[in-house]
Amino acid sequence: MQFNPCMKHKLIRSTARHFAETELAPIAAEIDQHRIFPREVIEKMRPLHYFGLQAPKEYGGAALDSISAAIVVEELSRVCAAVGLCVTVHNGVAVYPFLQFASSFQKEKYLPKLASGEVIGAFSLTEANAGSDAGSVETTAVKSGSDYVLNGTKIFVTNGGVCDVALIFALTSSPENRLQSSVFIVESGLPGFLRGELEDLCGMRANPVSSLFLEDCRVSQENLLGHLGDGMKIGLATLDNGRIGVAAQALGIAQGAMEAAVKYAKERQQFKKPIASQQTIQNYIADMATEIMAARLLLYRACELKDAGQPFGCEASMAKLYCSSVASKVTSVAVQIHGGYGYSKEYDVERYFRDAKVTEIYEGTSEIQRVVIARAVLSQPIL
Amino acid sequence: MLKIAVCVKQVPMVTELPWDEKTGTLRRDLAAGMMNPACKHALEAALQIKEEMGADVTVLTMGPPAAEEVLREALALGADRGVLVCDKMLAGSDTYATSAVLAAAISRQVAEVDLILCGAYTSDSETAQVGPQLAEELNLPAAAYAEHLDISGRTLKVRRLVDKFRETLEMEFPALVTISMERYKPRYAPFAGLEAAFCRGQLTVVDAADLGLSPSLLREKGSRTKVRRVFIRKAQKENVKITGAAAGAVSEFLDRYQRKIGAVIGKSIELKKRANDPAGTDE
Amino acid sequence: MMKSRKKSIWVFGDYRNYYQNRVTLQLLSKAVDLASVIDAEVCALVVGHEIEEWIMEYTAHGADRILAIDHPSLESYSTEHYLALVEKLARERNPDILLIGATDFGREFAPRLAKRLGTGLSADCVGLDMTPEGLLVQVAPSFGGNMLAEIVTEEHRPQMATVRPGTFKEIPHNAERTAVVERLPLPEDLPVPRVRVIEYERAAERDHTIENATVIVCGGRGMGNKNNFKKLDDLAALLGGDVGATRPVVYAGWAGHDALVGQAGKHIKPKILFSFGISGAIQHTAGLGEADFIVAINKNPQATMMKMADVAVTADAADLLNHLIRELKKRIRD
Repeated sequence: MQFNPCMKHKLIRSTARHFAETELAPIAAEIDQHRIFPREVIEKMRPLHYFGLQAPKEYGGAALDSISAAIVVEELSRVCAAVGLCVTVHNGVAVYPFLQFASSFQKEKYLPKLASGEVIGAFSLTEANAGSDAGSVETTAVKSGSDYVLNGTKIFVTNGGVCDVALIFALTSSPENRLQSSVFIVESGLPGFLRGELEDLCGMRANPVSSLFLEDCRVSQENLLGHLGDGMKIGLATLDNGRIGVAAQALGIAQGAMEAAVKYAKERQQFKKPIASQQTIQNYIADMATEIMAARLLLYRACELKDAGQPFGCEASMAKLYCSSVASKVTSVAVQIHGGYGYSKEYDVERYFRDAKVTEIYEGTSEIQRVVIARAVLSQPIL
Repeated sequence: MLKIAVCVKQVPMVTELPWDEKTGTLRRDLAAGMMNPACKHALEAALQIKEEMGADVTVLTMGPPAAEEVLREALALGADRGVLVCDKMLAGSDTYATSAVLAAAISRQVAEVDLILCGAYTSDSETAQVGPQLAEELNLPAAAYAEHLDISGRTLKVRRLVDKFRETLEMEFPALVTISMERYKPRYAPFAGLEAAFCRGQLTVVDAADLGLSPSLLREKGSRTKVRRVFIRKAQKENVKITGAAAGAVSEFLDRYQRKIGAVIGKSIELKKRANDPAGTDE
Repeated sequence: MMKSRKKSIWVFGDYRNYYQNRVTLQLLSKAVDLASVIDAEVCALVVGHEIEEWIMEYTAHGADRILAIDHPSLESYSTEHYLALVEKLARERNPDILLIGATDFGREFAPRLAKRLGTGLSADCVGLDMTPEGLLVQVAPSFGGNMLAEIVTEEHRPQMATVRPGTFKEIPHNAERTAVVERLPLPEDLPVPRVRVIEYERAAERDHTIENATVIVCGGRGMGNKNNFKKLDDLAALLGGDVGATRPVVYAGWAGHDALVGQAGKHIKPKILFSFGISGAIQHTAGLGEADFIVAINKNPQATMMKMADVAVTADAADLLNHLIRELKKRIRD
């Protein structure tokens, strides 16, 4: 367990921070307000391996360790959570399942393009009646010759408006005619693959979250990810990994909000002195700083387990639960420190406040994380 | 193959460093370090030359052990080797001493160097001296503030804009050039490069003894200048505040500064005084 | 031959253009001040070809002595030639202090000269002071100009400094003044320069580039929308100035990339800068270092831009702009 960042992690952080400050900071508020997906910046990120953070070098990725990847997402989200979201979803729940479950044919075909960001990925499980209850997916995939025909509607798909490849969870029947979920690699250009309007969300507004409609969409059986009926297995493994990404994102939002609040508290004068000299404000700042540090260590702990090849699902859930809760709390306090200005779009904390909330919801709600954690704890033998 | 040495400096990442009033020194320890922006432009120039015609690029810096970071970054960006000159005896060197040390490091570590590139200035001291002084140390033809480099055989052509004169200078290798911030916009380091920069062993750390530096270069003996104290600059601006409704604020502003603005734009914006309004005020 | 043991403060005559010449005059003025503390003479170096104009100019602006070398081979500025000449003179005459304008030329020339003479140099000084013992206290900016450092060269001579143009006020031209003018021959052993000047021409003054505009109206996100932003053109037109923009505004397409002011864009030096709805991120303010007089308009009085302004008007930027345009139209007369 390493508590001090090594030089590589420091350099990765400063590199990502420099990029975010230079390219994202000037536009973050604007793209949030007008729901603009910043394609120009995304284009600049591609050759820098933002879309192949942990993909192996042979596929054109950067093969970073998990802490490094988390740092990158954290730094992007510290400035612009919507772009952090695009990157973490692409890497964490699109590239990752390819690495874990794809056939070598599928890897050769898709990974180089995914790792270079030429192809943007999405992960599409959620439906109107299937969220936390992943087993209730209603989208179907019916075998027809050497193809599957997909029908159904996916909602709240992160990157949905721009993805070139989506991993679609759909019901298939087993040889014994049992319904089971499977995952299909679906290219956006296929006939019958339709996108909905962009969602008008509270936060992360620059991310093109949309619905996806599958209307008699024919997908070759070569595009089945893993085996028939592997849906639940792939989903759970992918979500474990995705939670690390969301935790990193939440941590970045919290960090950004705290820095903004500290800066403001030092500048803002009331009663002829900076409000930072008030003990109440100092208490806020002390709590924020402590909780963010604790959140960061919890997150890196999960990353280390993952890189060591050990089970990390419970720790990923803990990190996700705690980082997102810290993000919600810290952004709320940051708004409070800003007073009326914090409630206005003039200041970034208003955006951080809106962005933070969803980290407690997606990739498994906080309630679901508690279920996962409690199950793990309760299943341990009593000494 | 062309041999290029690039001198870089690690500077604090913030422009405003906390300052210890008691000791009168800057709390450098509180800020993360980064490669000085102008040095990054110089490295970019070297990398572009490397891409164009092939070159072996060595990056050198003098600093504390943590300055290794800027060398790793340079490797990630595409440099071939890094040399860190690190010795407590060299702490506090001014540009006079620094240029002498870098000259020794280049002589020992980059055999038969063709081109030395430096940033035109550093963000923490803005002295712009090390490059020109290094040229003196190594007795090389040199040009500052280069905007563009052209290499043909052993001849280097430098285009630059200095004091509103556009110049093209020509010199033979070996030569030293400091790079302006106009062109050669630095690239971002790709993450695969950062990962690789920590795997390969192309980094050499040397101290004063390795470089055979004479005792006259060490500690305060090497420096010619001495910083007596550092203090915060007094606000020179008056910072007049005008508030209130827009119409009133505009009148207040123009009344107060009409002469100043008028003088700059070469037109009068003073209110016409009306015969029946001796005070000259608008309604 | 030593003329006298009297202490001497040298000023290098940098005269290639108006801007460079002004800083030389400003240095002469400061040298006169400093000389009075230690009873020294002020000596101007004039090197070049057809330099009578400058000999007279520097005499009229405070020099007691002029060291002049006039030769056709010195017609274009050559750092190497000038280095060799001034090094030789300084070795012969041992000045106590040597001041050089922090022009592009001076900033390249001075460090090399200091190295050759084995002495210290502080760069870009914004203040100079003299102790009774003759120690030159050089005040130089550091860390982006937020801090100032007091620097001295204790043991080595001459004490050298480059000084930012505009730091000191020149003494009014006085044609009655006289100075000892020493016309020196070009030394025969001048080395052949290794840097060849292939092209050398006055850069075309590009009319109406934002870099040399005297009035600039900059707008930021606080302008609200593109229509409001476009009204900045009207104000700029009224004042004969140009419009600048911050990065978010350029990204939003309210202004072209040409208008970008700041770290990644243009560095401007207007006499008057209006800053509408700009918070003052370092990426922007890095380009404003040489703006003379800043008027900031922002809803938020705490914005960095408001704090660094000469005049800070707390108001909605777009609203105030409309009023300002209306009022200026009423007032402006040729």
